[in-house]
Amino acid sequence: MIRLEKVTVAYGDQIVLDRIDLEVPMGKTMVILGESGSGKTTILKCVLGTLHPVSGRVLANDLDVGKLTEEELLRFRQRMGMVFQEGALFDSLTVGENVAFWLWEHTTLSDDKVEERVRTLLQFVGLESSIDQMPSDLSGGMRRRVAIARAMAAEDPAFMLYDEPTTGLDPFTSKSICDLMRRVQREFRSTNIVVTHDLTDAYRVGDLFTFIKDAKVIATGTRQEIEHSSDPFIQTFISLDS
Amino acid sequence: MMIVKSFRYLIFHFRMRESLLEMDRLGVGSIPIVFLANLFAGLDMALQFSVVMAPYGASNLLGRVVATSIIRDMGPVLASLVMSARVTAGITSELGMMATTQQIEALLVMGVDPVDRLIAPKILAGMVMLPALSVIGDLLGVLAGLMVAKLGAHVPAPLYWSGVRSALTLPNLVNGMLKPFVFGFILVAVGCFYGLRTTGGAQGVGRATTKAVVSAAIWILIANFMISKFLIDVWGWKL
Repeated sequence: MIRLEKVTVAYGDQIVLDRIDLEVPMGKTMVILGESGSGKTTILKCVLGTLHPVSGRVLANDLDVGKLTEEELLRFRQRMGMVFQEGALFDSLTVGENVAFWLWEHTTLSDDKVEERVRTLLQFVGLESSIDQMPSDLSGGMRRRVAIARAMAAEDPAFMLYDEPTTGLDPFTSKSICDLMRRVQREFRSTNIVVTHDLTDAYRVGDLFTFIKDAKVIATGTRQEIEHSSDPFIQTFISLDS
Repeated sequence: MMIVKSFRYLIFHFRMRESLLEMDRLGVGSIPIVFLANLFAGLDMALQFSVVMAPYGASNLLGRVVATSIIRDMGPVLASLVMSARVTAGITSELGMMATTQQIEALLVMGVDPVDRLIAPKILAGMVMLPALSVIGDLLGVLAGLMVAKLGAHVPAPLYWSGVRSALTLPNLVNGMLKPFVFGFILVAVGCFYGLRTTGGAQGVGRATTKAVVSAAIWILIANFMISKFLIDVWGWKL
């Protein structure tokens, strides 16, 4: 479970998140929706502990992320998978090496075992044949798939975080990425947070939905609850998307 | 903070493979330019000194003067300045690109400290490889000086070599090894500092790289003076 309690984040004088409360039940996918620059990605950074709130606290399975030391944070993140907007693949490493990276760093598996696991993961995302390619040779959709495979490399990721995983992709590729995200959740039963501004993709992957506007949470709930919200911003968001 | 962490990782979590790779990339890759720089510096210094010393009949001291200048100052400073253009710029642009494309953040998220994986091996490589390159560069500079001494100033080779041998004093050698050791650290630390703080895409990477190279060059010159002063004054060595 991930819980944010009265979290406030500010960059200088600018408040990015204002006393946000959010709860993602274990094994569920929470989609955070909102305009660009509304603070969606900041929530992910708080959960990861790369950004510390001015006030409030972030709990991940009852662990107070803000109270962890730097070493504890590094260990905590080892059970986390994160897919960045553009994939953030290591461009000096091949696809296979990108996926193997976590295993090299945190396990003592033999080279053969690592390769076996890498091939399994790449097979899962449908890219086994690209194992020796460089990230620069891949399309945007393929890069996201590799990023998902890399995020899954942790033996049992308890949390998966996705930052705009389908931005800039065509509708077919977006759908295949969303299907993949669903498969990942079924496979690992992980607790997920997905940040996006695409409602179609949000419906494909989400169990719960949160709208952010002007640094505040304006609504949280299931698809039905969101669709029946009387908030004019949400209604406009839904109507513009459809 | 980054520097303290780097040394901590070097002691308690040493990465042999990454360190050797960095040594190859930073050091071995820089051999040609350090060689060229020292070759022409040696040639030029011997030429200039022979012109100045000949009227005083001091050409017999050419070997000693050339060797002392190269070992104590010119060798380490020149190697560092030439390498700052290559190594500092390379490190800043590499880390800068990684920072702007979220690769550094990806490392953190995967539970890997970028200082451990990226910075510490580079710092070690700089501190090991620059002294090594300096020694080789010094040797080349002295040999280049011999060429000018023999062909231009007509100083016999044995006389030149005896001058060189007399320049190989402990203070000179300590000076010649300590400086590149410190400069190697500066080159890499400055590159890493600017690289990790890069923002603003490709333009930001360019800006950070320029700043890093200029800063590294200035810090090297400042450190050079301070080390010289320290060794001469504080230790009381009459170099």
